[in-house]
Amino acid sequence: MAVHVRPVLLMLRRCIAVATVVVAVQFLAPAGAAERPERPPAESGSLADQIDGLIDEARELPVAAPADDAEFLRRLYLDLMGTIPPAEETRAFLDDPSTDKRTRLVDRLLASPQHARRMQVWLDVTLMERRGDTHVPSAEWQEYLRRAVLKNRPLDELVREILAADDTDPARRPASKFYLDRGGELNLLVRDVSRLFLGRDLQCAQCHDHPLVGDYEQQHYYGLLAYLSRSFVFSADNQPTVFAEKGVSDPVKFQSVFSPDDTYETLPRVLESEPPAEPQFPGGQEHVVAPADGVRPIPKYSRREQFARDLACADNRAFALNWANRLWALMMGRGLVDPVDFHHSDNPPSHPELLDLLADELVASGFDMRHLMRSIASSATYGRSSALPDGIDPKTLVPEQYASGPLKPLTPEQLCFSLLEATGIAAAHRAAVQQELTTGDPRLGELLAVDSARERLADEVAEQRVYSRLQGNLGAFISLFGAPGGSPQNNVQSTVHQALFLSNGGPLVGWLAPGSSQLVDRLAKLSDADAIAHELYLSALSRPPNDLERGQVAGFLAARAEELAKAVSELAWALCTSSEFRFNH
Amino acid sequence: MKCNHACGSQEHGLARRSFLGTMLGAGASAGLGTLVRPAAAEELQRQQKRVLVCYLAGGVSQLETWDPKPRTDTGGPFRAIPTSVPGVHISELLPHTAQQMHRLMLVRGVNTNENDHGKGSYIMQTGRRREPSTDYPYMGSLAARLLAPEGAALPGYIHITPGGGGSISAGEAAFLGPRYAPVVLGNGNPPQNTALPDAVSVTSDAARQSLRRQQDERFLRRRRTALTEAYTSTYDQAAALMAQREVFDVSKESEQDHERYGTHDFGRHCLLARRLLENGVTFVKVSHSNYDTHNENFNFHIEQLGEFDRTFATLINDLADRGLLESTLVLVLSEFGRTPRINHLYGRDHWGTAWSIAMSGCGLQLGGTVGATNDNGTEVVDRQVDGGHLFHTYLRALGFDPTDQLTVDGRPVQIADPAAEAIEEVLA
Amino acid sequence: MNTAPDSAVAAADPTQAHVAAEWEHDAPLINCRFDPTGRFVFATSEDRSILRFDVESGQKFVLETQETWVRPLVFDPTGETLVSGGYDGRLVWWSAAAETPGPLRSVDAHDGWIRAAAVHPSGAQIATAGNDRIVRLWNMADGALVGELAGHEKHVYSLLWHPEGQFLLSGDLAGVIRQWDVASRQEVRTLDASALHTYNGGQGVDYGGVRSMALSHDGGQLACSGLTAATNPLGAVNEPMLLVFDWQTGELKTTHETKDKLKGIAWRVVYHPSGFLIAISGGSGGGFVIFWRAGEAQEFFVHKLPNTAREMDLHPDGLRIVTAHHDGRLRISRLDGKPNEEEATS
Repeated sequence: MAVHVRPVLLMLRRCIAVATVVVAVQFLAPAGAAERPERPPAESGSLADQIDGLIDEARELPVAAPADDAEFLRRLYLDLMGTIPPAEETRAFLDDPSTDKRTRLVDRLLASPQHARRMQVWLDVTLMERRGDTHVPSAEWQEYLRRAVLKNRPLDELVREILAADDTDPARRPASKFYLDRGGELNLLVRDVSRLFLGRDLQCAQCHDHPLVGDYEQQHYYGLLAYLSRSFVFSADNQPTVFAEKGVSDPVKFQSVFSPDDTYETLPRVLESEPPAEPQFPGGQEHVVAPADGVRPIPKYSRREQFARDLACADNRAFALNWANRLWALMMGRGLVDPVDFHHSDNPPSHPELLDLLADELVASGFDMRHLMRSIASSATYGRSSALPDGIDPKTLVPEQYASGPLKPLTPEQLCFSLLEATGIAAAHRAAVQQELTTGDPRLGELLAVDSARERLADEVAEQRVYSRLQGNLGAFISLFGAPGGSPQNNVQSTVHQALFLSNGGPLVGWLAPGSSQLVDRLAKLSDADAIAHELYLSALSRPPNDLERGQVAGFLAARAEELAKAVSELAWALCTSSEFRFNH
Repeated sequence: MKCNHACGSQEHGLARRSFLGTMLGAGASAGLGTLVRPAAAEELQRQQKRVLVCYLAGGVSQLETWDPKPRTDTGGPFRAIPTSVPGVHISELLPHTAQQMHRLMLVRGVNTNENDHGKGSYIMQTGRRREPSTDYPYMGSLAARLLAPEGAALPGYIHITPGGGGSISAGEAAFLGPRYAPVVLGNGNPPQNTALPDAVSVTSDAARQSLRRQQDERFLRRRRTALTEAYTSTYDQAAALMAQREVFDVSKESEQDHERYGTHDFGRHCLLARRLLENGVTFVKVSHSNYDTHNENFNFHIEQLGEFDRTFATLINDLADRGLLESTLVLVLSEFGRTPRINHLYGRDHWGTAWSIAMSGCGLQLGGTVGATNDNGTEVVDRQVDGGHLFHTYLRALGFDPTDQLTVDGRPVQIADPAAEAIEEVLA
Repeated sequence: MNTAPDSAVAAADPTQAHVAAEWEHDAPLINCRFDPTGRFVFATSEDRSILRFDVESGQKFVLETQETWVRPLVFDPTGETLVSGGYDGRLVWWSAAAETPGPLRSVDAHDGWIRAAAVHPSGAQIATAGNDRIVRLWNMADGALVGELAGHEKHVYSLLWHPEGQFLLSGDLAGVIRQWDVASRQEVRTLDASALHTYNGGQGVDYGGVRSMALSHDGGQLACSGLTAATNPLGAVNEPMLLVFDWQTGELKTTHETKDKLKGIAWRVVYHPSGFLIAISGGSGGGFVIFWRAGEAQEFFVHKLPNTAREMDLHPDGLRIVTAHHDGRLRISRLDGKPNEEEATS
């Protein structure tokens, strides 16, 4: 390579660019290199068949036809990537004549950095329920989750890390968000551990055995609490607040308000399992660092570590059933046990064998989320159209029979990103990022194109940059379309304020404004109404228009020829606010 | 382990068996705050009961309002004045309100034992102490859920605040869901996004809405569910709300009324509140800010109550004249009162231990007081109540049974705190 | 007369200021004034009493308790008569110098608080004002109302007669100072002291005001006291400030603040015969007597008091300052040499 004298500024710029890549490579190396091999797809294929067998055998209703390619593509994109597909992706998929294209699509999406983002959001919203930040910044916690999904880390391992988090290792600081940003409130933690990790809301068992659920006993509540009763939020000057733990505590005692004269005592235990054997130390020797004023104690034996081991493990059936059910609900719109935090014998799964099968598979795969999602996505049950067969009244639909593809309202994130995609904004930012990464600096482009691992890295860096450009749009959607922070996010209502936001004041009107809209301006340049209709439906609804729709578009535009852009904007708004857009179908 | 009654279910004294027996049928279905006895709610909606809350933010001093202690070490510099009810005296800072005393009931024995703004505010508006694990709905959200007519165009719970933009405080609705959250009218402006954007004309809006409906029609023919119905109906609600935007325009009220209510923000906001109540809004809260007078308590109470007094008296009088008071529960609340002790800044500090609120309307016993504090106001000596008792009382006045259950994700939750009951003597 | 000779006035050295005496009462104090002869100091308290202390002996006499708190205390030039103004709007004349002082007359003078009163240099008239925003003039001799001056839009906080007797100044919450020609009842001019006022939109409150006024001994300058930097009125976050105007032109000459941004309100300002300014500051920062030289923005000395202070007066001898405190004490601070080293360091 010839040596030239270059302007210093340019050199510097290049150094920075290269440095960025090197840092990124180092930062991401473990993610790429150590990614866990997933279970072979062949087995998951047979799991998909088993799923279909168990669903079909329990159904009485006629079945909807298989989803066509467009419906399947949009559904899978929303479920695995958190957004609708880009128009060019839809075009390519619909044009692809191969018979295995759905299988390849599932594989490709699961391996993509956008999938890690999608699951990061899901895990974050599931575990933290949009609580405000107190001690651990969301950005760090979300990055921690994203990298865990990217590496396809076992879910049980991740949960163990979260439940054992004690901040002794600064690198794992984000994992302590679950405890710390709940203020270390023991009763809140017991409720949420029981709901989120065991699938049973034990809150009502705090004061007495659950009044409605025979299975939920007060001793279960206090058994969990006993694992955490030595833990407390510790703050000292100039140090980050941590969830610390002592090595000793009074026994955990409780009384039922139904029989206040009897006092019970419990050791730590998960539901009906035996209490763990705990090492005993002579009095005064329970600590590596003894508690004192302003000193964070460190116990020789940590009950919280024990908690993580006892709860998030293959032997704990409730844990496996909980996650199998939650992943099913993520893909299919409702849990086999519904609500997802109400597992008990009077509320049995709609398909007990199927839930058992999924839980077994989750355990056998080493808590491999990707594996389970691939299997579900590959099933005919997942791939059914949401349109009921002729002659079936939608009102007679029994959702747990899975006769048709479920309608799932888009989450605030899905809605926001899908609108950004439909209106062409996401694509514009992707293009700008590609420009930055490749043509903006040829050497960087070269570096990222060296081999497939680097290409994968390039994809990931691009995804991060695009996300950081777009994420500022999320807030307004979350506050209006999400549930209040700190409450479950799966029961969200439609409100008049959402419609007003999409109609009048929110960003959508601007995203579709003639003269500044990527989508509208692109379409308005097309010559004939047919082309406009095609592009519009492909962009917004991820499918071509049918004949009726093409005719309607043509008629509408013909009457508005003198203000075409405005008419296109109105059409685009109508599609973006239609039920077909609002729901994953 | 001390139990904090997080469950919120029926009285804990009930045997579990009988509980299981009575509740199993009703409690099995999941959902957002399903009322166990829906028929009762329908009847209430028919009666068109309403609520008006004047929220004196920051904590108004009971000694400068409803429970003066003149000529004592804690009384401060103001005198007590007679009212329209013989024997009942209130602070000289409320001369106009004093003339409406026959339409008020003062609760002078409030002890919420809470000196934190946020927690006090929560207690006074949910009737419960805050628990880490469960959020309960504010009474405005409950009223919107249980009292507002189904399908009403106007929001059921409106909060008029001084300053600030409009927003939706989704948290206040808790498990009832955001549909029942307050619509906040910052500085009395209409709800957000209720005007068409400049770029969209009325005809253009009609065109796009029509296109949306056509698109929905095709899609939903084979896919209609309760969720899609709920979604599509929000656009009809939006249109209905936009059509009624004038209801939020207080300038439509007469100049004379503006003068009577006062040309300051609180006057304007109370006039808007009257307009909203007359147009069928179920629950209106007007905040007046700010009473957190750690410094110069007396100067600032002159100023704030100078605005409050005439405006509030005018509003009460108007509601009575127009026949609305019988069906409208009126409350004057704060998060707490203020310390009897006067601090070194001539201020009074936070005090939830012995303070007062005022109520009116909705068939309550009026023209008197219930509860009392000692000579210098440092403790409650008669008929002590907390936020729970008050909440039960409001619900009863509105015609609810506060012990009715809401079903929240399969869990029964009594509407009002099971540990409290209504103040029977103020109920008719 | 107890007034000290010029040599003693010259001996006043604020940097020597120290608390020389403390007199107790069992309720927080509001106001304090020496009578013109310097024999007594009168004070008012949150227990609605008016107190009289003998300056030499410290002996306390409690005058008849009032309906509400008493704020202004003014005297006829002989010191024989005291007039007090109450938050019940009532003026009361007292036999101030009698062995057992008693009420002589009372007049319902205002609707709401009387915040300020001032006696004409001749002793013939008394001006009063407060929350009803009207300045009223009364015959000192018989309590007859002789005039009204209307125009203030906010509560009137302070009054000051010009020593030549023709003009009365009234200052209000908004920082508006009105100069009245009393004979014609006409307003001559207004001075803008609005820097002493703030409206806090978030809290919805007016705050500040012209808390006191004083004219320099040469008649050339008018000082007004109050507060500035009121970022949180309800939380008492504010700093003392004086504005000094040129009497002839009405121009603002000097804005006096404190070096260390002390927290408080300058409740009162007086001119020392030697020419420097003395202000009392009380509030969230504690109690301070602050001394500024004319024309210098920052103080040359701060005398820290053991408790927050609410009022202050300068003895006719120019060497003693009395301050009224929330802890129920009156404190006498001397401006001349400290008696010994122990006290200086204590």
